[in-house]
Amino acid sequence: MTSTRKVLNWIGMGLFVLLGVAATIPLFLIIIDIYSKGIDAINRLGGLWHFLTSEPPSPLSKSGGVGPPLIGTLYMTALGAIGGFALGFPLGVYIGEMRREKLANAARVGVNVLVEFPTITIGLFVYAVMGLVQDDLNRYILGPVSATLKAALGNSVFYNYVSWFVGPLDSFNAYAGAAALALVMIPYVALITASAYASVAQPLREAAYGIGGREFNALFIVMRKVVSRAVLTAALIGTAKIAGETAPLLFTAFGNNYYAPFTGSTGAVSLWIYAASETPYNVQIMSAYGAAAVLLTIILILFISARIKAIHD
Amino acid sequence: MFFIKAYPIFAREGFAMFLQTEWDPGAQKYGVLQALVGTMLTSVVAIALAMPMAIGVAVTINEVLPSRLRTIFGSLVDLTATMPTVLFGLWGFYVLGPFLQNAVNTLAGGAVMTSPSTLFTASVLLAIMVTPYAAAVIREGYALVPKAVEEAIYGVGATRLEAVLLKLRYVISYVLGGFFLALGRAMGETVAVAMVVGGNYAHLTTNLFQSGITISSLIALQFGNARFYTYAEPALFAAALLLAIFGIAINTAAIYLIQKWQP
Repeated sequence: MTSTRKVLNWIGMGLFVLLGVAATIPLFLIIIDIYSKGIDAINRLGGLWHFLTSEPPSPLSKSGGVGPPLIGTLYMTALGAIGGFALGFPLGVYIGEMRREKLANAARVGVNVLVEFPTITIGLFVYAVMGLVQDDLNRYILGPVSATLKAALGNSVFYNYVSWFVGPLDSFNAYAGAAALALVMIPYVALITASAYASVAQPLREAAYGIGGREFNALFIVMRKVVSRAVLTAALIGTAKIAGETAPLLFTAFGNNYYAPFTGSTGAVSLWIYAASETPYNVQIMSAYGAAAVLLTIILILFISARIKAIHD
Repeated sequence: MFFIKAYPIFAREGFAMFLQTEWDPGAQKYGVLQALVGTMLTSVVAIALAMPMAIGVAVTINEVLPSRLRTIFGSLVDLTATMPTVLFGLWGFYVLGPFLQNAVNTLAGGAVMTSPSTLFTASVLLAIMVTPYAAAVIREGYALVPKAVEEAIYGVGATRLEAVLLKLRYVISYVLGGFFLALGRAMGETVAVAMVVGGNYAHLTTNLFQSGITISSLIALQFGNARFYTYAEPALFAAALLLAIFGIAINTAAIYLIQKWQP
């Protein structure tokens, strides 16, 4: 090996490593920035518990928090994650395990396109659908259902919860937000489930079908061991992804600073960060940083538990 | 769905709205060309910055690091992809923007970049955000280089660098696939861009160092008051339709490139 090639080798590889490291540095900078300013902000706005439970500060107030947005984020993320997983997982099994069917191929292409789709268009789509179905939904389904529920519950303590959780719906509501989040999550879960099932060793698959049980048993009992890790990771990371999503919520949940029914516009931590960070008021910018610290903590918990699970098995 | 919602503006303006550069609902002007140009500019610059980093990440993980560090480094890159975009936006608005403004103005020796929130800030932020997506695709391809090919490359006495370059060429369709996926991401990214792009939706600019607008951030920033004007909402749906068509076209290209290579 001539020395020029040796030197070139060093320079080239060094450049690659430098670029690779450069790609991860912003991550550290962001985490440090958010925690250093965020924790300070939380302390100055009235301590952790106060911050987690109280309403966002108005421009003139001295303290405040992210209570309503936090509840909204947790509620919509939970619903979105359940919906996303409930639809994404079977779709993934279908794409991954029944590859030879014509429709499976179409579904795979569709999912592949959808997973990289601009999330704001998903939000707009749900907004448009909501605009179409809202009247009919309220008149024919949610109206009667909530009336019946209210009649049945009488004057028990649950009476008020009907209009909080069931309906009738406003044009912006938590369920539209959750639906948009679920639409973001479905393709992600489906793709990872599909690739997990596709990676099952062929002999194991033949053995699973060969013992003569139903296809259901082969898919969900025998092969479960192989795919469970990847699927669980997908569910956790997918949840982390949608917990921080903002764009799909802009026109579906809309945002709200007060404890309010989920049937009307609902706040989310990400929406509050977006709204508050561009105000000229210092107290709101501080609360945006505090909210960012809270959101980052949620994401990190989900992400790290997914990683630990992956390393453990 | 988007077409139905956008129909009123098409009926009124035809496709000319994509060629006009003024967005002023009060004066009934709904041009989105400036946003289209902004989207193109930011995503092209972002990709130009992101692709070298993505290749760097893939090579670092697959070639340089020992297997234990490999997992950790890989997790860090994945975390960058999982981070909420609004946190990138927050950081970009308060830290990256002012930093870039300082840096650019010092380097140029004058007030070239007049505001911390410009198309350039958005491009740099986008580059950071889309790198993990491109890197993931390239890594996936990289792992598919057959052992025999790898041994052959080293067998003829190639250095590490030469081997890396050869392998990258071997999986070129994955590199291109990653390129298109990242491009699609960059075009569609909304909130982070809306926070740092400057929100100049009124006029066309091709100067990277000025405030601008992109399609997705136009939708995010203008949808709130769109309902006060008859044609603003249809116009935004038309813009979304454009975005969706771009998204489908680019992602289909990426998927085609990646799948073509698979046996």
